[in-house]
Amino acid sequence: MLHKIAEKLDQHFHFESVEAHCDIPCGIYDPHQAQIGALTVIRMVDLMEKLFEEHGDDLSPAFYNSMARYVAVKEEHAELTKHEIRVIWGDFIKEAHVEQYPQLHGLVHKIMQLGSKARQTVDRETALALLDAVNEFAVIFWQIKGKQTKRVNAPQSVTEEIVVPVL
Amino acid sequence: MLRLFKVRGNSLSPDFYEGDYVLTLSTPFPAGKIKEGDVITFKQPGYGLLIKRVRSILDDGHRFDVRGSLIDSTDSRDFGPILPEQVTGKVIWHIKKK
Repeated sequence: MLHKIAEKLDQHFHFESVEAHCDIPCGIYDPHQAQIGALTVIRMVDLMEKLFEEHGDDLSPAFYNSMARYVAVKEEHAELTKHEIRVIWGDFIKEAHVEQYPQLHGLVHKIMQLGSKARQTVDRETALALLDAVNEFAVIFWQIKGKQTKRVNAPQSVTEEIVVPVL
Repeated sequence: MLRLFKVRGNSLSPDFYEGDYVLTLSTPFPAGKIKEGDVITFKQPGYGLLIKRVRSILDDGHRFDVRGSLIDSTDSRDFGPILPEQVTGKVIWHIKKK
């Protein structure tokens, strides 16, 4: 009875909603894998250029073997980066987040484009741009989660900056 | 000030369900009036206006650990404790859908 009355009033006055909000599965999302993927792309570009500089005149089976492996890993990690961002964008990001960060859809599209370009080319600038875009996405992601972020040099073979949460 | 809200989502089930209504006593009121077990409304950056139950009070009332009932609830386990200035009200009456 009371609920019926409240519903009638709601139809007229349009009460604001309060969200009980839950995510399945359990709200476990993190852009870290995407950042690792982008760092790996940079590393593979570096290794490919170094290999070519050292063995450009000696195109032995060993050269092709190493180059093929670097290409394969670059392909895999560029795609991993795209996949991880797509999952967060599709499953975690809600309409309210897009209203708060209207650049989100454009940023995700940019990451998709850069990820593809990173697969098509051997271009360090493209790989760096991919990491930059993923870092920009990470800042927004952690802001949504209510966490501050900082930029640190990756403790990896490539030391470009990555955005991490301040825990 | 009293305000009526409609509940969306089921993270507080079986106590609160989607479509229930809650009457809240809105802030300002002393944060000390909030106690463990109270259901409060609060603003969370990114998630908007939320409703959760106060699981524990931290730092002498300066932060609130809020939780839903379900394991997949988005709550303090995701976004950390709530500050008193984020609290917008306390549920004082619950109108159940069923």
